Amino acid sequence: MKKLLAIGIFALISVYGFSQTQKPDSLKDVIEKHEGKLNALDDRVLVNEADLSKLNKIKVSGYIQSQWESYGADLEKSNGYNNTFYIRRARIKFTYEALDGVKFVLQPDFSTGNISLKDAYAVVNIPKLKNWTLWAGQMNRPDYEVEYSSSQREVLERSRVIRTIYPGEREVGVKLEYAGTKIPLKFQLMAMNGNFTGAQAKDVDSQKDIMARLVYSVKLPGAGIGIDFGPNVYYGGNLSKNNKYFKNSDGTLDSLKSVWKYLNKNWVGGEIQIFADVLGGMAIKGEYITGINSSPGTVAATSTMAQMLASPSLYNNFSGYYIYFIKNIGPKNQFVAKYDYYDPNIKLSGDAAGNNIYYKTWTFAWQYYLNDFIRISLNYEMPKNEINASNPTDKKDNTLGVRIQAKF
Amino acid sequence: MNLKIKDKSLKFDINKNKKMKNIKILPIMLVLAVMASLTAFSQEKITVKGSDTMVILAQKWAELYMKTNPSASIQVTGGGSGIGITALINGTTDICNASRPMKQTEIEKLKARYNTLGVEIPCAKDGVTIFLNETNKVSELTLQQLSGIYTGKIRNWKEVGGNDAEIRLYGRENSSGTYTYFHDEVVKADYAANTQSLPGTAAVVNAVKKDVNGIGYGGAAYAVGVKNAKVKKDSNSTAYLPTKESIGKGAYPITRFLYMYLRNRPTGETKKYIDWILSAEGQMVVTEVGYFPVK
Repeated sequence: MKKLLAIGIFALISVYGFSQTQKPDSLKDVIEKHEGKLNALDDRVLVNEADLSKLNKIKVSGYIQSQWESYGADLEKSNGYNNTFYIRRARIKFTYEALDGVKFVLQPDFSTGNISLKDAYAVVNIPKLKNWTLWAGQMNRPDYEVEYSSSQREVLERSRVIRTIYPGEREVGVKLEYAGTKIPLKFQLMAMNGNFTGAQAKDVDSQKDIMARLVYSVKLPGAGIGIDFGPNVYYGGNLSKNNKYFKNSDGTLDSLKSVWKYLNKNWVGGEIQIFADVLGGMAIKGEYITGINSSPGTVAATSTMAQMLASPSLYNNFSGYYIYFIKNIGPKNQFVAKYDYYDPNIKLSGDAAGNNIYYKTWTFAWQYYLNDFIRISLNYEMPKNEINASNPTDKKDNTLGVRIQAKF
Repeated sequence: MNLKIKDKSLKFDINKNKKMKNIKILPIMLVLAVMASLTAFSQEKITVKGSDTMVILAQKWAELYMKTNPSASIQVTGGGSGIGITALINGTTDICNASRPMKQTEIEKLKARYNTLGVEIPCAKDGVTIFLNETNKVSELTLQQLSGIYTGKIRNWKEVGGNDAEIRLYGRENSSGTYTYFHDEVVKADYAANTQSLPGTAAVVNAVKKDVNGIGYGGAAYAVGVKNAKVKKDSNSTAYLPTKESIGKGAYPITRFLYMYLRNRPTGETKKYIDWILSAEGQMVVTEVGYFPVK
């Protein structure tokens, strides 16, 4: 009992003694302690914000186009099927804004069986030249329909003339661009390899091609109308390494002074886009291009004159244009009618044109914007070809397409 | 290029190609067009989204308008000018409030999606105000000094006539129109990495109020409990506070318009609402809130 009493007294004394040593903190101490904690937290937030701001400089966007197409009989014969599902595009675009006025863009395409690099370029604001930027790398050629991404385009494919003269849309080179803020003017000047189709890592000849585009914008806010218009020009050439003979547009044979000379590839064009706020938005867009396109005749370096004459280079005067009519119907729907024309050789027609025949194509499309990310497109393309001895009927090559596009 | 040829070609292909004979593409499109047209004009509720700088003004406008027009339904939310413009492009708001003009890239998106240039309506004026703590000795700054401070080249208050103390920077998030406007018109380079981004001008004012070495910027209507710095174009110019007179004359160097943006020219209830905002009554609200009328 005595033992228990002693333990109890000892315990009480201990508790009392302990409570005497734990003096409550003064309010000042508490504030200081919390202030310290808050400052430490503040510093941590700053560090995290700095890290986060680096991540904010990277923007990731992209789109997937899943498509079903049904073809006319002649396309069925050449393809071996009359309809197909396929992934037309599966792209991710990375944009890193390293500094104010310095941007890097990388865009691969992952569509089935075709992982390829689409864009890889840097954009730098030129110091002391406000609104001027320098672009270097692989990028779109400066043309309206080329630069107008298929994720935005109102019909499934670009016009035939654009697809022909700007294959793959991209080129490797440098571009100088002015985008005025006070003056509504855009100017682009690009120097490029000139032969890029997506496969070559380097140029195939020494000459660089030049392309320039000027667009002026007029706004009539009272009428709800905006008009963008301007000229564009392409100046370049194709090296004819092994064949000095070429066939002119009119079918006559001609000759360069020697092999290893350039065949011209020059054209001029003009574009116009009219936007009008008429019961929900409407646009008429068009472009006309005409000039000379060439393609070197492919013969061996050791070929004879007869062989050269049998496969001459081609030197054709061409022309082409497209015109879109687009009408927005409410915030979610859009109707599109498009007409495009392309003649690869305007100097010859009928039987003399052979397979260099013109195409006139009507396209009708309907877009439905399900939400911010999904667009459903219904598209019917009706090409009508020139009829001659080589092409005795209008080919059955109409195409019906349905596309679901997811964009983020 | 005449329509008759096109129609014949369509008929020819559809009739001759058995696989496609049932596709009556043009009638389908026409029916869809009519259906869509009927649904396009059935909206009545007005949604307003965007600038945090303007949110107090927009709420006040909506509140007063709905009082006198009980049938009107106006929903106002903030989020920042960038968010508002994105919502306008995505079709999730009818009116976008923005404390900066739309960028060319944004107009291009609007053109691509809606085939319009958008409608810009300047609805108030604001002087981007430089907030200092009330105990700060500094009372005026040039645009160059402000740029130096916010790019991190000037780090101590004594470099601009203040105490020997490190400058603490407060600013807005990059979705804010004020962030972009201040960047484009004043800073003209990257913001310093140690700038604390805060969600809204009220938070910036609050931070500067508590921090003796703090500096912030934002809409004039929020400047309560802080000292406003006078701003001058350069060291030889006169310094101005953002007042009705200095803003009206355009003397205050960081004067800007506050805008409303629409996809299309307004009609119906939206037009009535915007007309009221631009009327003397609507512009009185601008002054009451702490901004400056456009006229």
